[in-house]
Parts: sequence; C-alpha cells; structure tokens
Amino acid sequence: MSHQLPAILFLLPLFAAISMPVVCLKHRQWSYSISVAVLAAMVLVSILNLHNVIHHGEIRYVFSGWTAPLGIEWVADGLASVILVLVSVLGLLGVVFTGSTSPKDLGGRIIHYYTLILLLVSALTGIVFAGDLFNLFVFLEVAAISSYALIGVAGGRALFAAFRYLILGTLGASLYLLGVSYLYAVTGTLNMSDMVDKLPFLLSSKAVVGGLIFMFIGLGIKMALVPFHSWLPDAYTHAPESISPILASLVTKVAILAWIRIIYWVFNASIVINDIPILLLVSVLGTLAAVIGGGLALAQGNLKRLFAYGGISHIGIILIGISQGNQTGFAGGVFYLLNDAVMQAGLFFLAGMAFYQYGIRTIDDLGRLGKHSPWLTGSLIVMALGMIGLPPTGGFFGKWYIILGALEAGNYVSVAAVLLSTLLTLAYFVKLFEALFRQPATQLNVQSGDIPFSFKLTLGITSAAIIILGLFSAPIVQLLLDHAMPPGL
Amino acid sequence: MVDAILAVLQRPSFLTFVILFLWGFYIMVTRYNLVKKLIGMYLVQTSVIFFLVSISVKKGATVPVLLSTTDPVIAASYANPLPHVLTLTAIVVGVATTGVGLALCAAIYQKYGSLDEQEILERLE
Repeated sequence: MSHQLPAILFLLPLFAAISMPVVCLKHRQWSYSISVAVLAAMVLVSILNLHNVIHHGEIRYVFSGWTAPLGIEWVADGLASVILVLVSVLGLLGVVFTGSTSPKDLGGRIIHYYTLILLLVSALTGIVFAGDLFNLFVFLEVAAISSYALIGVAGGRALFAAFRYLILGTLGASLYLLGVSYLYAVTGTLNMSDMVDKLPFLLSSKAVVGGLIFMFIGLGIKMALVPFHSWLPDAYTHAPESISPILASLVTKVAILAWIRIIYWVFNASIVINDIPILLLVSVLGTLAAVIGGGLALAQGNLKRLFAYGGISHIGIILIGISQGNQTGFAGGVFYLLNDAVMQAGLFFLAGMAFYQYGIRTIDDLGRLGKHSPWLTGSLIVMALGMIGLPPTGGFFGKWYIILGALEAGNYVSVAAVLLSTLLTLAYFVKLFEALFRQPATQLNVQSGDIPFSFKLTLGITSAAIIILGLFSAPIVQLLLDHAMPPGL
Repeated sequence: MVDAILAVLQRPSFLTFVILFLWGFYIMVTRYNLVKKLIGMYLVQTSVIFFLVSISVKKGATVPVLLSTTDPVIAASYANPLPHVLTLTAIVVGVATTGVGLALCAAIYQKYGSLDEQEILERLE
C-alpha cells in the first residue's frame, strides 16, 4: 500500500478537479468544502509519504508495470517528499483563505475556479515527482495553463497581465522542450536516472551544452529569474487576491526544484562540481537576482508589487545556496526555499486581507489607515523579521546555512550578495513600517467589520510557521542532510 | 565561414527549424497585435515539434509493430515510436495553450475594444 502513495497524492486533487463540475452542478457551495477536504486529505497523505520515505527509503513508482528506462517513472525521494508536504499545506491554506475572498462576480464559474486550483496542485505534485524530463515538461505546462487562467479569472487589468505571462511562459516551455529534445537526440533516453549514466561520456558534445542552456533559459523564465522576471510583478499584482498567495509561494519554487533536479540528478554532483562551470553560472545569476530584485522592490509603492519583487530577490538567495556545491549550502538553499514559500504565502495573504478588509493597495494608504488591526500589524512584523532574516525566524537560519556553505566553498561574492540583499530587504521593510507608524495628516475613513475567521487562521498559521521553522531549524536541516541530498554531493 | 555555411546546408531540416523558430520569435517580439503575438508563439511551438520529428527520421524503417514473432528483432528496421508520442503530447499542450491565449484575447477585446498592445497600454494608464 505504502508504495502507492505518490500516485494517490497525484490522483486525489486530479480526480476531485475532474469530478467537480459534475458533483457541484446543483450545489455550487459544495466546491469550496470539497476542495478543502481533498487538500486536507492530501496534507495527511503527504506527511505519511514523508514518514514512509524517511524510514523505508525512496519510492520509485513504475506506471503499468513498464520499468524505467522504457516506462515512465516517478521518484519520491526525500527532497520530493519534503517539497510535497510544503505544496499540499500551502495549497490547503490558499484554498482556506480563498473561501471568504473568492471573486464575488464569478457566479456559476466558481466551480471552474476551484477546479483550476486543484488542477494546479496536482500538476505541481507531478512536477515534484517526475522522474523523466518530458513528464516534467507536461506537468510544467499543466501548471502554467492553470495559472494563466487563474490570473485572468477576475478580468480587468489581470487579463493583460495573464496574456503577457502566457506569451513568455510558453516561450519558456518551448525552449525547455527544445533542450529536452537535444538531450534526447544525444542520449536516446528521457529518464533522469538513465541519463545520468550516459551523460558523463558525452560532455564534449555541443548538443549537450546547447540542450542544457535551452533548458535553463526555459526554466529561468518559469521561475522569474532576473533577466526574465518581467512577467511576474504584473501577473501577481493584478491576479485576484485569493490566487496570488498560491502562485507566489508554489509555482516559482517548484520551477527551482526542477532546476535542482537537472543540475544534481541529471548531471551528477561530481561532474557539476569538477567538469562543467554550471554552478558558477547559477551562482552569478542568483547573485544578480538577489541584488537587482531587492533594489527594484525598494522603488515600489504597491504592496503586492513590493512583495512580488521581494520574492524575485529571494529566488536569487535560494539559487546562491544550491550553487555552492557542498552539503551545507544545498541544505541551506532547500531550507530557505521552504521558508520563502511560507513567507511569500503569508505576505500575499496579508496584502489580500488589507485589500478586502480596508480596501488598501499601496504603502501610503496603509499609513493613512487610522486604527490598526493587531492581526495586520502583528503578522506583518513577524513576516518582516522572517524576510529580513532575524533570529528566531526560519529566514535567519536559511541564510545562515547558505552563508556557511558559501564560506566553505570560498565564494565570498555570494556571501556579500546575501548580505547586500538582506540590507535591501531591511530597507524596504523600514519604508513599510515608517509608513505604518507615522502620524499622517489625512486619515482614510474606512468602515470595516470583524476580520473573517479564515483571514485570522491563515495569517496566524503562516506567522507561526515562520517562527516554528526557525525554532526547529536544526532537526529540519538535519533531515535534509540525511535524506534529501543529491547522490555524490 | 564557408565551411560553416556548407555544414548548415547539409542539414536542411535543422535549418528549417531554426528559420521557423526565429521567425516565430520575431513575430512575438515585434508585433503589437495580440493575436499576431499568439501566431508567433504557435510558430515557435510548432518549430520545436518539427525539430522533434526531424531527429527521429529513420530511412527504410517501418511502423513499430513486429513483422514476425519468430525471427530475431532487427532494431534498424523499425521506427522509434517515442519521438512521435512526444510530438503528439507537445501538440496537445500547444493547442491547450493557444486555446487559453485566444480566450484571453477575446476577453481583452470585450473589455478594451482593441487588440493593439499600445492602445490597451494607453487605456490602462
């Protein structure tokens, strides 16, 4: 039974998504309850799966009896299982938050809205587990198509942002597919664990280099790496308040996971460290992203846009961590990925609540708000501590391990980049708090009722998670070091 | 230089792929009309699919169904089905993306009364 867990994890949201238009035909309001129930079940199964993988080793799930390399294979190793717990928990929180904020004018289309969310979660599960490169492409596209539709669902400016995302995202996917076909033409296989045996003898081939570059640019667009990030701020700013948290916390992070897989699982660690300068490339791109993203965030006045640029800079920090080529840096990078996903979800919950409760979108309006809600201010303080990286939050320990890894590798530019990005993060949060606590001349007159329970719940859980990830950072990093390391690192 | 050009001319299908890809990319970058951008995007997708098909060509091979169960299997006489399956999946993905793109275009046209990127951006300000 336990070896079926990866398939169950994927089929739960997929079946719920497909059957939802039929089941909820007469009872629209069921779609919310069904989504919450299915994702809650998914959280339990993913924790069970993690427990199982830790105690009994990785699961290689084979479809319909065709073993790899001929058949399609899913790999549920430590890294995939950890990320999957994150995906299911944040998916559940996102849907719970959605409950009271889902766009009111959707009417009957609310069913399709939840269908798309569940489809997105199942596609992300597929990306996390995929054991071959083409499967990864298909799930990337399913996730991307659901995101385009979800961003455009509210209409208005979001439509144009979604269209731009679609054009750039599809270009990225085409480049990724091109890279995969190059590697396929050279090696004759698509399976990652089969390719890792064949590639060491083919490193002089230009097709391998070309394929790798195309795949990297493609996934770089998907994860909003700095030269290709232009779609992200618009898309996340104009997306419905209920959708941005799920997208911001999961879609780009899972694209990073795909990148990690290609670097360390398709090419093995010793090649990457000794033979090809790919880690240097990742580290330079990460450095650029961390610094430029932070600098651009400083110039933003819109809350969601500020948080989106903050997310872009933190993608750079994660990449700096995984590109150090040693265990400390890698564990730090993955741990920071977990933290960053939680913080991004929390920040966009906060921006969503600020809009729904008080109707404010910009930093200035936040300052002109006369009476502050303790929920808003309290969770903002916790998330700011996490984003800046002060103890005892998880953000501090993530950066700590990344810097330790960079020192171990003697990579002082990376250390400087992490520190500079931390300073920039501090600067834009200082700007935010300065606006929040000053006494403005004019005050906004907002009539607000009680804060709905779902807002308190999601903000409370994400804020608590930021602290808890920090308090339990040692066992989590130890778990990553024991079970989630790439072979040979 | 001449050698490089001659080497490229030896691979007409690869050359076709490069031309199609760059043509599509050029349309995506330079045209302001959203539907034209989608056409460029579709051209890029199709060029990659063309590339996948062109690398799987095998002269003198037949469909991958065993001709006889008793004779030893000669791999050279059967085409590899995998690239074709990949191509089919990639076509489906492309169709789905184009569908969502066209739906977004229709919604944008209803909202702004125009498909020209410049005009829409002016109206957004």
